[in-house]
Amino acid sequence: MTSTIEPQGAATATPRGTLRRPADLARNIDVSGLVDTEGGLLDRVVFTDQELYRQELRRVYAPSWLFLAHTDQFHKPGDFFTTYMGEDPVIVTLDRDRRIRAYLNSCRHRGARVCRADSGTTRNFTCTYHGWSYNLDGSVASVPNKDGYPESFESGQWGLVEVPHVESYRGLIFGTWNPEPIPLRESLGDMAWYMDAMLDHDDQGTVVVGGVHKWVLEGNWKLAAEQFATDWYHVNMSHASALMILSPAGKKPKDEVVHRTGRQYSDAHGNGAGFPVHPKNRFDAQTVHAWMDYDALRERLGDARVEGPLTNGHATVFPNFSYLPVNGSIRVWHPKGPDRMEVWAWTLVDKSMPEEVREAQRLYNLRTFGPSGVFEQDDGENWSEAQSPSHGFITNGVALNYQMGLGTEREDGRHPGRTSELYSDAAGRAFYGRWRELMNTPAWHEENHS
Amino acid sequence: MSTATDQLRSRAGTRADRDTHFEVEQFYYEEADLLDSGRYADWLELLADDLDYWMPTRTNRLRRQQALSIAARGEAAFYDETKDSLAWRIRRFDSGMAWAEDPPSRTRHLVTNVMARHVDPAEQDGFTADDLWVRSSFLVHQNRLEREVNIFAGSRTDILRRTADGRLQVARRAILLDQNVLLAKNISTFF
Repeated sequence: MTSTIEPQGAATATPRGTLRRPADLARNIDVSGLVDTEGGLLDRVVFTDQELYRQELRRVYAPSWLFLAHTDQFHKPGDFFTTYMGEDPVIVTLDRDRRIRAYLNSCRHRGARVCRADSGTTRNFTCTYHGWSYNLDGSVASVPNKDGYPESFESGQWGLVEVPHVESYRGLIFGTWNPEPIPLRESLGDMAWYMDAMLDHDDQGTVVVGGVHKWVLEGNWKLAAEQFATDWYHVNMSHASALMILSPAGKKPKDEVVHRTGRQYSDAHGNGAGFPVHPKNRFDAQTVHAWMDYDALRERLGDARVEGPLTNGHATVFPNFSYLPVNGSIRVWHPKGPDRMEVWAWTLVDKSMPEEVREAQRLYNLRTFGPSGVFEQDDGENWSEAQSPSHGFITNGVALNYQMGLGTEREDGRHPGRTSELYSDAAGRAFYGRWRELMNTPAWHEENHS
Repeated sequence: MSTATDQLRSRAGTRADRDTHFEVEQFYYEEADLLDSGRYADWLELLADDLDYWMPTRTNRLRRQQALSIAARGEAAFYDETKDSLAWRIRRFDSGMAWAEDPPSRTRHLVTNVMARHVDPAEQDGFTADDLWVRSSFLVHQNRLEREVNIFAGSRTDILRRTADGRLQVARRAILLDQNVLLAKNISTFF
């Protein structure tokens, strides 16, 4: 689904007139000393500094594949969904040729958003400031009082800025501003094997329940992204109350829940997936569990996936897309400044699921990992609690410990790529390793880009 | 036809009288007091066994698509609960390990703009004109830890059932929160 439209790219590509942004408007900081992947240390300034945050938007978000939406949100031309890539507002839509495309949600005239609805169906996007209007292919449909512009004005040059590459993987749509990206599937690498445990239960694939849970969290986006990549460690403590009420006796979690073994995948792209391994791993919601044909899943996905990442566990696709297979929660952590993120979460179900099974998964997800969910409530508390003390000068300078499972990453012979123990910071170290690499690499939009 | 039945029929859909209105308001104030005091088990006693407790998400839609601005049943909701699932959620607080509410929040549930009508059984299957349709507005102020503040404003549309012993119980509750992105890190209270 790669776009054939030339990126209109940096907003400096004006047909007449010239703008030149001074390079020193953006100061790039060498972050080498803020992450020690070998020693397992992290400087807390990565969560709090405004300049580092701006650099993240330029060098981590702009060049990366970012999750946009699920293909099931687009059925007919004109169906649209508005979201963000980093802090850039974008419109994702199905054009007349039934191609999924994405545009910057900002009028080329004075910059206002041209679409203020969350989703819907439309024939065009009209800016309500002066009335510039755009077609579903991003081109200008009309400019009021066009006579007032000089002859050199060509409306063909002033279409919505298009996201140059939009690709999907098993229903998940990603986009990137990078003009020459590694293709999405290739960039996922071995991570796709783990994602397939959730996305590829059968030939019909997945759909999403209508609506998106959106809420704010007073914490840096990396706290959540990192946790979903690496942190099974927090489950027993943070979610003790939820594990208690989920347990059959309602008193305390079963011993095998607390003392689980499992694996944690990590890679150089910053992706991570941790999951308990058990021959009887199962979906939590009883109706979902009863419907699943585990034998067929073993046939399709293999024992290693059914006994691993099929059900429990969680994962992050770098930088800010995460998921939980057990309840079909997929979510993106939108950065909103160094101290705040916005969570946008969907419920993913198999298209083949009958209505009552979908409903069971939806209810299980909202009661566990919706914003009122018995797990999610405590996660929100953790991230705001990790964030707020970091503003103290002394506190900010005290390194954080990411040493669990240091040096245990290996090829385990059962899961692709390299894995560590379930209780490990391996994927956290890899996440920040990738972050450091991107933060220190000039992106295509910079003059010193090689 | 007995006179009582005639009376009931004539009340269907009409505004509740002053005494009934007072009773409904007092019922809500007591309910709010239980929630603000953290007496969740006692709050559960005010809910009917067949409770339907629903708080849909709300989306920004173009004016011509406003009908879609409230998530439909089966779509994304903040709450979609039965009495059992609420009891399950409340049991979590008894664990002593529900960290999002430990230390507990200070909440104040304000309930106002109460409009009470007798149910019209023709519109509400399974209810009688003894039962009440009530719409109210709420403002919930939540203050937590040092300086966290959340303000939740919205409406509740209830069906209050008149039980055999004359009490009121919440049998249906649809909660509309006046927010798009939930402006809080979680929802750890009830409405």
